[in-house]
Amino acid sequence: MDGNEAAAWGAKLSRAEVIPAYPITPQTELISQIAALISEGIMDAEYIKVEGEHTAMAAAIGASVAGARVFTASASQGIAFMEEALWMPPGRRLPIVMCMVNRAMAPIGGLRPDHNDALMQRDTGWIQLYCENSQEVIDTVIQSFKIGEDKRVCLPVAPCYDGYFVSATATPTTIPDQSEVDDFLPPYVHEMYNIMPGEHKPTGGSSDIAKARYEVEKAHERARGIIEEVDKEFGKRFGRCYDGLIEEYNCDGAEAVLVTMGSMTGTARDVIDEMRGKGKSIGLVKLKGFRPFPTEEFRKLGKKYNAIAVVDRNNSYGSAGGGIVSMEVARALYALDDRPLLVNFQVGLGGSDVTMRQIEYMAEETLEAVETGKVKSVVDWVELHDLGEVM
Amino acid sequence: MSQIVRSFRPVVDMEKCNKCTLCQIYCPEGTVMVVNKEKVVFDYRFCKGCGVCATECPTGAIGMEREA
Amino acid sequence: MELNKLFDEYYEKSYIQGGTTCCPGCGGPLFWRLALEVLGANTILYGDGPCAYCAIRNIKLPTFGIHFSFAADGATGIAAALRVKGRKDITLVSSAGDGATGDISFGKVSAAAERNENMIQICVDNEAYMNTGVQKSGLTPFGAWTTTTPLGKEAPKKEIPMILAQHKIPYVATASVAYPKDFQKKIIKAKGIEGFKYFHSVIPCPTGWRFDPAKSIEVIRLGVQTWAWPLYEIEGGILKLTMKPKRRPIEDYLKAQNRFRHLTDDQVKHIQAMTDQKRERLLQQDGKRIIF
Repeated sequence: MDGNEAAAWGAKLSRAEVIPAYPITPQTELISQIAALISEGIMDAEYIKVEGEHTAMAAAIGASVAGARVFTASASQGIAFMEEALWMPPGRRLPIVMCMVNRAMAPIGGLRPDHNDALMQRDTGWIQLYCENSQEVIDTVIQSFKIGEDKRVCLPVAPCYDGYFVSATATPTTIPDQSEVDDFLPPYVHEMYNIMPGEHKPTGGSSDIAKARYEVEKAHERARGIIEEVDKEFGKRFGRCYDGLIEEYNCDGAEAVLVTMGSMTGTARDVIDEMRGKGKSIGLVKLKGFRPFPTEEFRKLGKKYNAIAVVDRNNSYGSAGGGIVSMEVARALYALDDRPLLVNFQVGLGGSDVTMRQIEYMAEETLEAVETGKVKSVVDWVELHDLGEVM
Repeated sequence: MSQIVRSFRPVVDMEKCNKCTLCQIYCPEGTVMVVNKEKVVFDYRFCKGCGVCATECPTGAIGMEREA
Repeated sequence: MELNKLFDEYYEKSYIQGGTTCCPGCGGPLFWRLALEVLGANTILYGDGPCAYCAIRNIKLPTFGIHFSFAADGATGIAAALRVKGRKDITLVSSAGDGATGDISFGKVSAAAERNENMIQICVDNEAYMNTGVQKSGLTPFGAWTTTTPLGKEAPKKEIPMILAQHKIPYVATASVAYPKDFQKKIIKAKGIEGFKYFHSVIPCPTGWRFDPAKSIEVIRLGVQTWAWPLYEIEGGILKLTMKPKRRPIEDYLKAQNRFRHLTDDQVKHIQAMTDQKRERLLQQDGKRIIF
């Protein structure tokens, strides 16, 4: 099953009731799969064939305030087009779930993935969870409804996964049992804004602006714990869990770690395994939760390892220092008295492959930094080097 | 509650009024009412003094008086 | 006080609180009082911001206010949720100003019409972006002054009701707050029809049209009498004029508003010719199928 099919099944098993969506590569297979599931009678939902992504999100908002469980998906230019609307669900505290099928933004980039499309929405208030493969996609979609709808959270959630590498690559995937999912995820009860006659709850006035924003921030704070809690409960029930916001992989006794996000994590696992086999002292950290950002977790990593190398599949023009994730990590580590080295890499921009050789190179550079105690450059654009043969 | 600032206020001369209710129908703010077909009353809490009631009154029973 | 209590009860009954933040003489609150009286309590109102919102904020029924780039779309979601919940008893009203309907959300209204979403789509048309301080919209009439058309608008007003009718939706109506009975009859009719109903009313704006607020109803009535804003409905593709006033010079309407005071005689003649053409065409088509 590929990532898009997995996301569609995730929505189906979660009993999403309203799905407003507009097609965009590489998300299209997801929504046509949903249309197929509905037309075959496997899924019972209202699929609204809207005329653009802005409307997709607006209709999602409308359906959500009227008490429906809502799912949608988009990518790249589509996410950018709906950006105005993306600010509404966190502000109105609507637990919409939207898959962001990562794809590079135009004009420098193709149809393939990098993470700028989702990362540029980091300030909107959406929870963002990055997935590595189809199994994680289906599981994360189901978990996302549970997280977002939790009374202590009431926030929209975006399961993110790389276009093509995850969306169109079939990997062995277990489809959870419907009755098990029903037990795990009870029907949606509308906790916050409600527009139904007789149940109408108005929102606060404009004098409460700072307070309302602080409430959203607090909800993100609480979400950290709840993402872990939901993941653990999911693990108990379904036998698979993802260690909450970050996963440390093959890190025992390592001096340094590479931090990856999305599909490249799968490649990195193989490279790290091989390097550990050769006695290299480097582990892997998979960053799953970008919002809320695992600040405390990174501080713990900072105390444990001598160097943290962030692999950014995105860039922030003019930042003069690494991609978006590395800036977040730097911020987290700044509070430490004894800070580790921070090494920044940018790779896979515009959807080019992140190869095993590139990961090996980044690992070696990081270990060299540990050895010399120095980081060569503020950020290393890996693709600008000729690294020779693949590993 | 903040005060409505108004330059003129409507006043009615019940002698001239024919109880047609046009003032009530057309008042933009809903601050004019004909009570029991015998009395025209204004809600001065919310009346903005636009003067639509006076203009629409077919018998000239409503006049606009300058606020003190 | 006894009188206050009386009015408070009246506001409850008409579902709109007096004391809106609208300008004196604004047709907005009047529009909503007329509409809500016949829509009734079991209504959800989804509406766009600025001017319209000044009145919507005072409405006592469930409302969802949003920016004017969101016309009809959120209501589409609400309609879907109502279908999911099997709530056929609720009337869904989606409101937008002229700027939303004619400009920024034109595609959204068109798409909702194409999908035949079950809602009454309303256009509260004051013929410019008034809340931002009188800027030209696609529904500003030819020749009208606005702050972005200091010499008068160069292009004619978009015929949104006719464009929407071409979407083959079940019901289209134009109305005026100067004709409350006609207005309410059309809302009642729209409420009883399944699918996408489009209801468009020009409302007076003393601030942006530059006239004495006391003349609000007089001016908007002149709009109908001079055929600047003809009242009709299109049901099942058949046009029906609901008001057929005798020809009256358009000058009467233009002269009543300072937004037209710079017009030359030639320009007035041009507007008269256009209006006559429209009047004749509508009279010819009255009672006939115009949408195929």
